[in-house]
Amino acid sequence: MPGAGGGGGGGLCGCVRRKEATPPRDAHAASSGGGGGGGKPPSGGLLALLRGRRARHPEPSMPKAERTMKAALLIQRWYRRSLARMEVRRRYTWTIFQEIEYAGEQDQMKLYNFFNALLTHIPAAAAASAHAQTPPASAGPDAQRAPSAAEEPPDIPEELQSPVEPGYKGAHLGSPLTRDDLDRLLDSFRRKKPVRLHARYVASVLRDAAAHLRTLPNLNEASTAHARHVTVCGDLHGHLDDLLVIFHKNGLPSAENPYVFNGDFVDRGRHGMEVFLLLLACLLALPGGVFLNRGNHEDLVMNMRYGFVREVRLKYKRQADALLRLLEEVYRWLPLGTVVDGRALAVHGGVSETTDLTWLKTLPRSKYVSLLRPPVSATEGLGGELVDKMEWKQVFDVLWSDPQPGAGCVPNKLRGAGVCFGPDVSEAFLRRHGLQLLLRSHECKPLGFELAHGGKVMTVFSASDYYELGSNKGAYATLAPGEAAPHFVQFQAGAARARHLTFRQRVDLVEAAALRELRAQVAARRAALEDAFRKRDPDGAGTVTVAEWCAAMEEVTRLRLPWRLLLERLVPPRKTSADSASSGGSGSGGGGGGRRGSAATAATASSSGGSGKRGSRRVAYQDTITELAEGAPQKTVTDTLYRNKESLQAAFRVIDKDHSGYITAEEFEEALTLLGEQLPGAAADLCRSLDMNKDGAVDLNEFLEAFRLVQLAAAGGATDALDADDLEDDAADSPDE
Amino acid sequence: MAEEGKNELEKRIIEVFDAFDHAGEKTVDVREVGTLIRSLGCCPSELDLQEIIAEVEDKEASGSVTLEKFLQCMVRLVEENKLQPAEPEELLKAFQMLDPEKRGYITKEEMTKYMLEEGEPFTQEEVDEMMGVAVDSETGNIPYEYYINQLMVSKELYQLKRDAVEKVEARPSRKSFRDPLLRRSIQGSGTF
Repeated sequence: MPGAGGGGGGGLCGCVRRKEATPPRDAHAASSGGGGGGGKPPSGGLLALLRGRRARHPEPSMPKAERTMKAALLIQRWYRRSLARMEVRRRYTWTIFQEIEYAGEQDQMKLYNFFNALLTHIPAAAAASAHAQTPPASAGPDAQRAPSAAEEPPDIPEELQSPVEPGYKGAHLGSPLTRDDLDRLLDSFRRKKPVRLHARYVASVLRDAAAHLRTLPNLNEASTAHARHVTVCGDLHGHLDDLLVIFHKNGLPSAENPYVFNGDFVDRGRHGMEVFLLLLACLLALPGGVFLNRGNHEDLVMNMRYGFVREVRLKYKRQADALLRLLEEVYRWLPLGTVVDGRALAVHGGVSETTDLTWLKTLPRSKYVSLLRPPVSATEGLGGELVDKMEWKQVFDVLWSDPQPGAGCVPNKLRGAGVCFGPDVSEAFLRRHGLQLLLRSHECKPLGFELAHGGKVMTVFSASDYYELGSNKGAYATLAPGEAAPHFVQFQAGAARARHLTFRQRVDLVEAAALRELRAQVAARRAALEDAFRKRDPDGAGTVTVAEWCAAMEEVTRLRLPWRLLLERLVPPRKTSADSASSGGSGSGGGGGGRRGSAATAATASSSGGSGKRGSRRVAYQDTITELAEGAPQKTVTDTLYRNKESLQAAFRVIDKDHSGYITAEEFEEALTLLGEQLPGAAADLCRSLDMNKDGAVDLNEFLEAFRLVQLAAAGGATDALDADDLEDDAADSPDE
Repeated sequence: MAEEGKNELEKRIIEVFDAFDHAGEKTVDVREVGTLIRSLGCCPSELDLQEIIAEVEDKEASGSVTLEKFLQCMVRLVEENKLQPAEPEELLKAFQMLDPEKRGYITKEEMTKYMLEEGEPFTQEEVDEMMGVAVDSETGNIPYEYYINQLMVSKELYQLKRDAVEKVEARPSRKSFRDPLLRRSIQGSGTF
């Protein structure tokens, strides 16, 4: 039961045996963390009432031993029930994080399907940008570059050659990179606050890495012939601490201790730049020590949404664009996978029924600067386009797919990209290629690793606490010569902080974070939510049934979640009288319960009426709306507002075909015509309402502002913070703080 | 998630079932049935669990339980008012039983012994987890009058049943607890 997680699964088997004395173990991950006290909620009115009633229940007369046994039984049952409740909360918390994460990817795919449509319809744009020397290439509608191994690595532009300032405290590196350089870099990154590497050194590492990577085949070959074992690490996502923990536990890479890093080095975490630089520096300075596989996040289009572009801009301000161009050059030359000892394939996502290693080995990988844009065919005729699409799918499926328990191979609906492949597909693939094992990453797992398809497909994920402190362990796999199965090593970089927490506290903490994310998702759709409730309340009573409430939430968020369970968490039960108020609460000692006082006030303020309706179980939906508006966090991983801005910037660049920084009337009209075809009327109207300022051109700020105003009108002010907060945030919040 | 044509009780059960259904194939591992039932708010005995598992376990694929069978069984049990937790006052009395001197607390050692040796004994893991939360770090004792708040869970499931079988003659519940004030207070204190 791989998914059971957290030491679950363990065993009602004990209970099945008919022995009273058998210790019944239940499937809750009880931590052994002792820890002090936890929170002691006030007993409030409950106790007084209980006391008052005591007199009416005279002690039954039975032997003391029996009474003790009964008392213990009762306490045990209540306790096991409360732990089971914890367990189910832990599980739906996980569901929330995953649903939100994948919903984001779906959005991204939709957006880029639209851009691709734009490109196909404006072929001139593709042609123009293929040659244009413009900032972050894949932010605009550039065509995939032609494969040309002869192409020279890009020169380092002037802005990246500025001399190092006297006050610079980071590492100084040479080129070519030596072991000493690597040690200096490691030292500067190991500090409590990693020291930023100077832009000129970053550029030098990136350029050298791109030059090195382009000499490598599409599929690396790693071997245990001269090594203790080969270590495979999964997603790191900017978790520098996790990478350093791995090096600490398992040693630095070397030819005798080789590592495969299975993609997704950047995005989400705060130190994507440091993680990626460290890996590239190891690649350059430790020959034979490191094999890098491309992940779906080694893609500037993904980086725009998931944080790495933002990180680079914050850390390297003026030089950011030039660095992003260099990063892109590294991405496109990253190998797609690694074969270990001719028996195990490590790729980021997985395989599909069409995955063919011979094809993967020979296709021109560097052509796929961004995978999120299928190739715009340069080949004449329909046939050529078809071949391009199939080749693109070879790469895409390997980077984006997930295994599924059921047989077959279906499009990955949850992510909106890649496939879900069943045990039959992986079995056939392995047999076809004489392999025994598929090692993949791409999905966060509670234990850091998970076995699927009868142990033939293994997921390894190396970013611990990916969703929140205590949410998951990280792991790496080691493949030793002569051993059929890999060995997994788990770790948790933040373990010291998490250790003292009890199971209940950890659940509270992670759940609070999940609910924060969820509130943000809902708050961003406040207007739609109000509509959805009103639609279900034709009489204007202000209430809907629980079923209607759930349906409305699911309809508006498009998240498939256990809404009935979440109802009480998102909208706490109303406070009906003073004495019941204080006895409530989950008694979380774990802190992190991200509710602000103002939310509580709002709930009380609107608590008139409906209090007697508990029996009929209707939800006063205004509470939901108030709660969510009040409870909306300023900042989350999937920052909705920021996401809008990024999408709009990308849209702007697509429309701005010549990358002049201005959209001309012609460009706009062309895009509008297309928008009319591709999007429902509302979106086209929105674009038409964009005032062109009568000067025939609009710059990015005007574009954003226009969108903001339209959005404001439509959403009734819910998203008023689109740019103001966001831009200030950019300036104020350096990820290194 | 909401299945067409199902009432609220059924939908509620399905939601929790889904949380344990890792493969998304409408089955759960038989070893998780206990947690599943308890997380619905029920308080089964070990014997109850054995009987339920014997009833719902898939005869063809042993070790797994299908949604269909589980749902059928649970709806029946809830409608028959089975597996209902004792009332909170009983819980308080249980703690008082273990505190004959009426000190208002039970020491950590006493409680550990009771939980490991009496009734349906805890594992060491369960004891550790319980003590982590229950024991007051200053005194080293369990002030149980406070601690019971942590164990409260709303009885919503059985109320859903009342909706589901509204027209059916109300069956005599095992022991009804009619004090509206207290009930509300318990509602409000749901730890869920």
